Amino acid sequence: MTSTDQQPFLSIKDLKVHFSTEDGVVKAVDGLSFDLIKGQTLGIVGESGSGKSVTNLTILGLHDPARTSIEGEILLDGQELLTATEREMERLRGNKMSMIFQDALASLSPYHTVGIQIAETYRKHTGCGKAEARKRAIEMLRRVGIPQPDMRVDDYPHQFSGGMRQRAMIAMALVCDPELLIADEPTTALDVTVQAQIMDLLKDLQQEFGTAIIFITHDLGVIADIADDVLVMYGGRCVERGTKKEVLRDPQHPYTLGLLNSMPSLTGPVDVPLTPIPGAPPSLLNPPSGCRFHPRCAFAEKVSGGKCSSERPLLEIVDGRGSACHLTTEQKQELFADFAATRHN
Amino acid sequence: MSFSRRNFLIATGVAAASTTVLSACSSGDKGSTDKNVPSMSQAKTVNIPVGTKADSTGPAPEVKGAVKGGTLYSLDQFDMDHMDPAQVYVSTEGAISRPILRGLTGYKVDDKGAAVLVGDVATDAGTMKNGGKTWTFTIKDGIKWEDGSALSMDDVRHTFERLFASFVTEGPRYVQQWLVGGDKYKGPYDGKHLDSLEISGNTVTFNLTEARTDFNYTLAMPGYSFVNKKKDTKEKYDKQPFALGPYRIGNRDIGKSLTYVRNEHWDPKTDPIRNAYPDKYVFQFGFELVASTDRYIADKGNDQYAMSIFNEVAPERMAQVMTNATLKKRVLTQIDTVTYYWPINMTRIKDLKVRQAINYAWPHQQLQTIRGGAASSALATTILSPVTPGYEHFDLYGTEKKPGGDPVKAKALLKEAGKVGQKLVIAYQASDTAVKSAVAIKNALEAAGFQVVNKQVDKSTFYTQIGKVDNTFDLFAAGWSPDWPNGYSVFYPCWDGKNIGDGRSNYAQLNDPGVNKAIDAAAKLTDVTQANKAWGEVDRQIMELAPVVPDYHSIRNWMHGSKVGGAVYDPGNTCLMLTKLYAMK
Amino acid sequence: MLRFLVRRTLGALVILLVISAVTFWLFYAIPRDPAMMSCGKNCTPDMLKQVRHNLGIDHPVPVQYWYWLKGIFVGRSYGDFGNCPAPCLGYSFANRQPVLGTILDRLPLTLSLAFGSAVVFIIFGVGAGMIAAVKQGKWQDKVASSGSLIASSLQIYFVGYIAMYFLVAKLGILNNPSYTPLTDNPAEWASGLLLPWLVLALIWTANYTRMSRSQLVETLSEDYVRTARAKGLSRRSVFFRFAWRGAMGPIVTIFGIDLATLIGGAIITETVFSLQGVGRLALKAVDQSDLPMVLGVTLLSASAIVVFNIIVDAVYALIDPRIRLA
Repeated sequence: MTSTDQQPFLSIKDLKVHFSTEDGVVKAVDGLSFDLIKGQTLGIVGESGSGKSVTNLTILGLHDPARTSIEGEILLDGQELLTATEREMERLRGNKMSMIFQDALASLSPYHTVGIQIAETYRKHTGCGKAEARKRAIEMLRRVGIPQPDMRVDDYPHQFSGGMRQRAMIAMALVCDPELLIADEPTTALDVTVQAQIMDLLKDLQQEFGTAIIFITHDLGVIADIADDVLVMYGGRCVERGTKKEVLRDPQHPYTLGLLNSMPSLTGPVDVPLTPIPGAPPSLLNPPSGCRFHPRCAFAEKVSGGKCSSERPLLEIVDGRGSACHLTTEQKQELFADFAATRHN
Repeated sequence: MSFSRRNFLIATGVAAASTTVLSACSSGDKGSTDKNVPSMSQAKTVNIPVGTKADSTGPAPEVKGAVKGGTLYSLDQFDMDHMDPAQVYVSTEGAISRPILRGLTGYKVDDKGAAVLVGDVATDAGTMKNGGKTWTFTIKDGIKWEDGSALSMDDVRHTFERLFASFVTEGPRYVQQWLVGGDKYKGPYDGKHLDSLEISGNTVTFNLTEARTDFNYTLAMPGYSFVNKKKDTKEKYDKQPFALGPYRIGNRDIGKSLTYVRNEHWDPKTDPIRNAYPDKYVFQFGFELVASTDRYIADKGNDQYAMSIFNEVAPERMAQVMTNATLKKRVLTQIDTVTYYWPINMTRIKDLKVRQAINYAWPHQQLQTIRGGAASSALATTILSPVTPGYEHFDLYGTEKKPGGDPVKAKALLKEAGKVGQKLVIAYQASDTAVKSAVAIKNALEAAGFQVVNKQVDKSTFYTQIGKVDNTFDLFAAGWSPDWPNGYSVFYPCWDGKNIGDGRSNYAQLNDPGVNKAIDAAAKLTDVTQANKAWGEVDRQIMELAPVVPDYHSIRNWMHGSKVGGAVYDPGNTCLMLTKLYAMK
Repeated sequence: MLRFLVRRTLGALVILLVISAVTFWLFYAIPRDPAMMSCGKNCTPDMLKQVRHNLGIDHPVPVQYWYWLKGIFVGRSYGDFGNCPAPCLGYSFANRQPVLGTILDRLPLTLSLAFGSAVVFIIFGVGAGMIAAVKQGKWQDKVASSGSLIASSLQIYFVGYIAMYFLVAKLGILNNPSYTPLTDNPAEWASGLLLPWLVLALIWTANYTRMSRSQLVETLSEDYVRTARAKGLSRRSVFFRFAWRGAMGPIVTIFGIDLATLIGGAIITETVFSLQGVGRLALKAVDQSDLPMVLGVTLLSASAIVVFNIIVDAVYALIDPRIRLA
């Protein structure tokens, strides 16, 4: 559903994030581009180490500047973030853009009450007094569905249940009505019921404020639930992009296909065996040549001339849809037919 | 000496010895004849005569160049365990008590260190009757306590009677043993007097069970100083004794410091021994040897006026101090009266040749090196120390020729005796030096054909164990220092057959009729020169039987600040003589 | 909180009771004879018996222990030696003084030494650790890290004498270490103890530099610190409000134990600087087999550790709300 007439709220162009370590340079993100418009949710999918979390920390400017080299461009509402000063970034963080982290127990300070942690963000960005900030914190807690928020506001994170902590985390992220919300696997650690509640909450909030959301997950089920567009990352690169429907129903990259095959379908027959992707995620220190997925790709030999291992497949996006694979469209149709058989109904 | 002080000596490596015994006298003079013995002239040291009545009359001869006034300080490791004279045995305790306490007799020392026995509170060094069984002393007039009251004859009597009280456990016990009826007397606190102690006018008479021709020397021990009867608080007297000397205790902070201030009631005309130049003494405790030595080297502020009673030059700083002429000038070096030796258990090792073999094999030089070299100890070949009157130089087992030991000769003797492979159990007190020494001894003896077992014994029970008649050791580290300067106080307690028994000090268990007879005969001699000659002979006689391996005599090195004058050795207390010191202007 | 204090205090008393009993038992278990220490050169068996009686060690050990315990509550009489009013920790025959009085006499110095050097090492140690943690990998970190490595391998025997040689003997900047009670003259108190404080602190500072650096590096990588940054808080306020708070717990714990240890006596420091504190009292007591004094100083050290443990736990609960006092 990407519409080209709208100005993207967030635009990332050819982002490269490299860390220098004692063993060499880790190419955590290696040429990533995408746009996101307001009110939309972009789901980023990928295994751990695919570069999805790094991308988002880079947007917030939370990488260690001493050991990271960054190239490319990140534009937030027209403002270049990579060249912004630390002060400018501090003004944006938690305010115009904010982030929900995966493990709320670890991500909330154990030494401060939930209320203080929420109010602190608000005070920082609005400059209001303590009492007002506290009121705002209670209001936010109420909004994310914490019962008796005026009492719980003085609790410490460890006194909250897992779901409540995640809600508090969301309240904290949303306290300044951010225009961009990055949610880094916010539901991974939660049980399914709570997960659903959180997802609903995010959707409600998005509708209310028109927030742009980047939703990072390795769970395609969650993507199916929340995302408008989907970006699949592998080895620091984007391998496939498209709308949710396009990517989930008609994957164009063997990796996406692999991901889909490794998860159960709620709609298909229950006796279809799940097939995990063989092999391990690539080392980002010494990434495979050519297509980074080729060592694990079941179809690599179908491409003539060993191109998969020698030539990097280009990502060509047409109308927001595209994939980076050497297979031809015909080959994909033929080879991916099995998948279509199990899912296309 | 008390056992605790023994431990200190061992713990700090001052004596670098496996055992220690102290408290005694002899006289020292500068000048050296023996390369191993740094500073004494043997001709002069071997005699401390009894002085005349004129010698016993005050005031003490002025120290050349001395000035009155000022304050002297000390830098010492430990406070005195005891100050009640009845409990004083350790030489340092005796030395520090000299400015405040006085006894019947004492040693008058000249600027060069030559000593003579004089009457201190008594008008002279006493009158002997009955071949030495009766001794009479006359008390001088004008002897006053720190409160201005005169020393009464009650005080004199009380001083000796209270030695029998049950709380007195650490002082010397000679007088108690010798006074008639002393074995049954329990002290004056229940109102009973000891009849053998007669008071008449201003004289006191001691009636002894045996002839003691050197009783006046015995009485010069600081342990027989006077105690004020009215002020006697028994056990508590130990904290703050009442002064009779030129100073009194101004302030005492046990374990930390002790201050002496002038006793205004002391009359110098009554005192032939003490000069009393400084206005004040401030004794400071808690300094390790390295700390005090470093402060002497730095010689800053009050430390220029400081001296030590106990602390010697730290072994770690010995080379630095002794090779620097300016520093060395501020060191008083003195060979001690103590002899460290290894008694051989005569009950277990009966064969003379075996005992001689041990003597020949002994690694004297290696042991000296382990102790820190020739600066702190001299090799011993005799039981008497070169500074104890009666000392005669001889070397029966070739120690001076072969200081490293003569394993060939030793082995030959052992073979002659048919005892090759003889097992020896040697015992020593736990300490670093002792362990190293024991290893060297084991090696040397095994090279000579012995089979050696080393046994380390806890220091607090060491003397109890080796003092048991049926102990299981063949050879053990011990040492002895005479309590007054003559051969008797060495040979009678340690080498007379009468002193074999649990808790007695004839550790070698030597019971030789010839030696016993010689000791008895020498003890009866009233002429000091003759007696000294006899004691020298007793030494040789014993060494011929080889019941002991003489190991070494320790050498003391006391340092002081640059503004301390009059530093001489006090043969009566084997320490610096406090009462001759002065603070330079 | 009250419940916590009551419960812990009772626990502490039990611990001290056990420690005193064990010390008592151990003292008699080792093959030493305290009576030999107070018996003269020609110690006869009769005299040894008398000494044992004087020292009160002629009773069976449990009886002696009972007398000792009783003395704490009702005081004790030592006949000729005098009375020891409650709380009586015993009478030291080696010092000819009640144990408690001697310890109280030495304690001010030891406390001055402990707290003085603690102030120095906590400020410099944690300060250097903070700088090193913030400037991770930069020269400041390298200087602090290698400096603390060197400092922690130093020995007071070595540094102490060197410092005295240069600062006191050679340059004359400082006086010989000495103790003047704080209440007598604060300036002399501080100048007399400055050198021991610095030398003692130098060695401890190193520990605190390393510890606070590693603690801070650890907490700086905590998720909640990242969250705080993501909220838009500045590096500075994140460091002090979040990272530092997290690092403080372990530092406070170690600090409490270290301080308690120092109160038990800094034997080497006291020895090197010729100061007469609890440490050397303990050393001498052991050497002289002075059981009452050994017990006294053991209990002092144990009490310090027990009390500081309670304080540390209470402080920890203040720092970290996850800890509940019970």
